[in-house]
Amino acid sequence: MTCVELQESLIENDTGSTAAQRAHLKDCPHCADLVADLLVIACAAGDLRAAHEPGPHVWNSIESTLRREGIIKPFAHRSLLPSLTGSWGWATWALPVAAIVLISVGILVRPHGLSPELRTEGVTSRPASDAALDASIAGLNDNDLLAELAEQAPTLQAQYTENLRNVNDYIRDAKHSLEANPNDDEARRALMDAYQQKAMLFELALDRSLP
Amino acid sequence: MGGRLIDVGVCSAVLAVTMTAGIASAETHKELRFNVAPKAALSVNNPYGSVSVKPATGNSVVVNAVLWSDKVEVDNNFAGNRVDLQSHLLPGADAQSGRVDYEILVPPDTSLALHSSSGALRAEKLHGDVTLEGAAASVELRDINDAHVHVKTLNGPVTLTNVQSGYVEVDSLSGNVTLNGVNGPLVQVISTSGGISYLGDFGDHGEYRLTSHSGNIEAVVPDSTSADVSARSVRGEVHDDIPLQPKQHTSFVLKEGSAFWGTMGRAAVSSTVVLRSFDGKIHLRKRSAK
Repeated sequence: MTCVELQESLIENDTGSTAAQRAHLKDCPHCADLVADLLVIACAAGDLRAAHEPGPHVWNSIESTLRREGIIKPFAHRSLLPSLTGSWGWATWALPVAAIVLISVGILVRPHGLSPELRTEGVTSRPASDAALDASIAGLNDNDLLAELAEQAPTLQAQYTENLRNVNDYIRDAKHSLEANPNDDEARRALMDAYQQKAMLFELALDRSLP
Repeated sequence: MGGRLIDVGVCSAVLAVTMTAGIASAETHKELRFNVAPKAALSVNNPYGSVSVKPATGNSVVVNAVLWSDKVEVDNNFAGNRVDLQSHLLPGADAQSGRVDYEILVPPDTSLALHSSSGALRAEKLHGDVTLEGAAASVELRDINDAHVHVKTLNGPVTLTNVQSGYVEVDSLSGNVTLNGVNGPLVQVISTSGGISYLGDFGDHGEYRLTSHSGNIEAVVPDSTSADVSARSVRGEVHDDIPLQPKQHTSFVLKEGSAFWGTMGRAAVSSTVVLRSFDGKIHLRKRSAK
């Protein structure tokens, strides 16, 4: 996989944890830096969204302009851009943000694959500790997802809740395993797999599967 | 509806809508036909209902859809050798009235992307790339060759049969995953609580990674299998019924009953097999002679 292919794949595969991507990120400090930068942008974007979210008329205006210029078409009666005013609202936008965060967590737990600069400088632009990082991930994801499910798809809430609990157990166990064996590549990979599972859960809940 | 786009200049679409009399519900049959070039792409987004894709001779994509009520429509778009189908739910539609079942015939080299929330997703006898995704959707793939295969489910079961020379990646939160005769350069299954069952010979020079947090993992292999196999369960049991030549150097401590690592068959042509679990049991056993 080349750098260009990696960057294109980040758009198409929001988990960013395919074997090919991981292999490339492990050996390419440039792309690893890029993904780390995306984390910073994603975190900052979350704060900006809360503070400066445009009104619905802004998004409607953008959407109507894109339609008028033929950039998006009215196929399937839904916008190709997630609407911030729709029933899923910001949560639809939160998916790629969450995915980027999870990808970057994966990078964080693969220090061998990153450049020394990233390992030192990158930390300063991320949350100060693992605990803070966990909190931000949990704050971004779990409660909001369950609240949305309760409102939009209550019949699915139980199964998502159970799976969410299980995948959080997976992440916890994987983290403990990595802490106990910090040089174990398989333990590191297990933590990435666990985060990938959680990213997939959110993708399924927010992106396509729910009618 | 305004959202329905058909590029009639490019495709020769035959649209036949037949109301089926005598059925209590307003069940409707719809047929669509698109003439495509080699290596076409087909995307189906169907919230409720099944999607079945089979090969056809010729260069047409033929869609037969059964709409279970008038509260759902089938929107289609054909452009750039790509066919998009969308089950469009109208107000008041639910899992029953919004259901659409698709039977689709495609040229075998067509790439597929199928999405469903609860219906069965099936594809067979194809050699284009396949992406199947759904929460509770069951996934069945059979006789797929030389393709990238990506499957994602929440709790829907996944069954792959006779997938050859594939780059296979399956992710399921809690659905059971069954691989029968699946091989290729990369075969990877990740599950949180679902079980994983592999029946096959692990091919040649491939990388096979079967991982579940709390689900059991079972691999059943024939005598002819050549593979470097490592298995480890943090809290579960690990059973190995096959004599392995132990590795001289291992990257983790081989604790009796919870891990093993060794070579079976001819090391020179062996694949790499990694079986990992935290709470689940891992069992490697030989396929019994029939």
